[in-house]
Amino acid sequence: MATTTTDESEHTETESGLELRRIALYGALLALVGAYLSPLYSGLTTAFKTQEAYRNTSPLQPPLEGFTIDPWVTAGSELAFAMVNSFAMVIPAAVLSALFGSLTAYGLTKVDWRGQVFVLVLFLAAVFIPYQAVLVPLRQFWSMIGLSQLHPRGELVELTITHIAYGIPICTILFRSYYQTLDSELIEAARLDGASLARIYRKIVLPLSLPMFAVTLIYQFTQVWNDFLFALVLLSNRSNYVVTLELNALAGSMATDYSVQMAGAFIAALPTILVYILFGEQFAKGQTL
Amino acid sequence: MADLQLDDVTKVFVEDDGNEITAVDEVSLAIDDGEFLVLVGPSGCGKSTTLRMVAGLETVSDGAIRLGGSVINDAKPAERDIAMVFQSYALYPHMTVRENMSFGLEESTSMPDDEIASTVEDAATMLGIDDLLERKPDDLSGGQQQRVALGRAIVRDPEVFLLDEPLSNLDAKLRAQMRTELQRLQEDLGVATIYVTHDQTEAMTMADKIAILNDGQLQQVGTPLECYHEPANLFVASFIGEPSMNFFDVSRDGETLVHDDFTYELTSAVASELGDHDELVLGIRPEDIELRSTQDDTHSYETFVDVVEPMGNENNVYLTFDADSTETFVATIDGLNHVEDGQSVIAHVPEDAIHIFDRASGSALRNRTLDTQAMPEPQL
Repeated sequence: MATTTTDESEHTETESGLELRRIALYGALLALVGAYLSPLYSGLTTAFKTQEAYRNTSPLQPPLEGFTIDPWVTAGSELAFAMVNSFAMVIPAAVLSALFGSLTAYGLTKVDWRGQVFVLVLFLAAVFIPYQAVLVPLRQFWSMIGLSQLHPRGELVELTITHIAYGIPICTILFRSYYQTLDSELIEAARLDGASLARIYRKIVLPLSLPMFAVTLIYQFTQVWNDFLFALVLLSNRSNYVVTLELNALAGSMATDYSVQMAGAFIAALPTILVYILFGEQFAKGQTL
Repeated sequence: MADLQLDDVTKVFVEDDGNEITAVDEVSLAIDDGEFLVLVGPSGCGKSTTLRMVAGLETVSDGAIRLGGSVINDAKPAERDIAMVFQSYALYPHMTVRENMSFGLEESTSMPDDEIASTVEDAATMLGIDDLLERKPDDLSGGQQQRVALGRAIVRDPEVFLLDEPLSNLDAKLRAQMRTELQRLQEDLGVATIYVTHDQTEAMTMADKIAILNDGQLQQVGTPLECYHEPANLFVASFIGEPSMNFFDVSRDGETLVHDDFTYELTSAVASELGDHDELVLGIRPEDIELRSTQDDTHSYETFVDVVEPMGNENNVYLTFDADSTETFVATIDGLNHVEDGQSVIAHVPEDAIHIFDRASGSALRNRTLDTQAMPEPQL
């Protein structure tokens, strides 16, 4: 009997302890959510306020008095063309770097040839090259090629190719770790079935990599969309500006109009958020693989 | 026409640090058309490597593989007219059963689409998976996946089937069922088959011919009964048979075998087969040991029952020569014979059932004498 009572009291004790820990945990999580969301929230409220309302009210106050959508209209029209430029650059850059990365990783995992460790090491090293280290040679390289002289849009092509090249190493590493888990017997079965290396990639490896493509596409899209440094160095013509550069220009030209700047920041960030929503399910699948 | 032949086939793997590992060492085998050969051996004995060389998935370091007379060492896997079933089945997870089975025909032949469809459907009907054709592999049970993998091999209508431990992922009951089914299928198709397994039961029950490998070296090739009753060496004797053969290290004194716990008198006819080998191993299959209640001849020994494993149809009785000893040997007796732990019994070891091996080389000097009987024709 004595043992039973101790067991019971212990039981209730651990239960209330669990309760307390849970409350503390949720409290901490809520505080974190608040901390992360507050800048977004105040940015959003600011973007809907007139200049006057912005000056007179706290950023945390909802935009009830002095509500306006003018900042969005202004920022939207200022950024519209740059958004088009950004999409024209980011989509091919993300798709091609993912595709090349996937092809490279296929060659480095499922195809047997000499010296692949050396090539792999090159790719690994390339992941860690900082943007700043290549800015000067990059500028000089593209001056030598001179694409920007051939066509007014040449600069944008230069930037796209730069991002593809810079994205291949990380995409390769991501795809490589995925392909290493892919059953080699699948590839061997396809070889016995008479498929060539290219056919095996097209018919077996590529369809099975779709979750990984979602991961790399989201990653590359965000990375390239948000890039400022390469764009700053490679783009000189205002008509070629991508959204990050234009946003910067917007901040410079209207130094005091925070409402427009906030609206602009939200517009510039919107595509990356949309990409997460669109590919989110695939992304989660790819990460658990 | 198949006549697959392996002549002194050798595979040497070179590790990164330059170490050479011989996985398969001068293996020679011949498989006739329609024959079912089982390559059996413990893990890492080189049996899968041998199969992969035949498939063309591994290069051949030395020797020749011939199919129908022509050397296929350097032929691409697809050009070899062979089909393989993998241990993992290797079904393409993103394709339906139909697409899985059609893929090989689409890639390696110029067969028109409607002919591919009918070939696939015929094979599916034969395997009883015709109602699963539009499903994906993930939606199938292990046994169904197994059938699809077989179907994928069958539609290719190859000269040789290669099966790499195809039943190892199935549960025991399904495995026994698929074993019979595979055998029947192979007989119907009449295609030469190499079947790799580490399971001696599969080898015994399915094979026309067993090839036993150990450490990359071929130990014996023969019918299941030959390998069971006339093992070429100690390895084969211990590997084939469950529970495995009992071995006693003995030395020879004239016509007597001397063990620490017993002596065994040989007749001069048997003794003369042993040549001048003195350090020997005496082997006896568990089912050849008879348990008696009276000691009536020289080949009977008083023993004590250590553990009894009832299997239903038979009992595995672990015996010791000394009541306190833990060194046991096993006798298999009828399941209805009742023996108890600690009981004293007389074990009779008949001379016509003993095997004698040379201890140093392991090779068999004498195997049991066989007196096989055919099943009498029924008189109706």
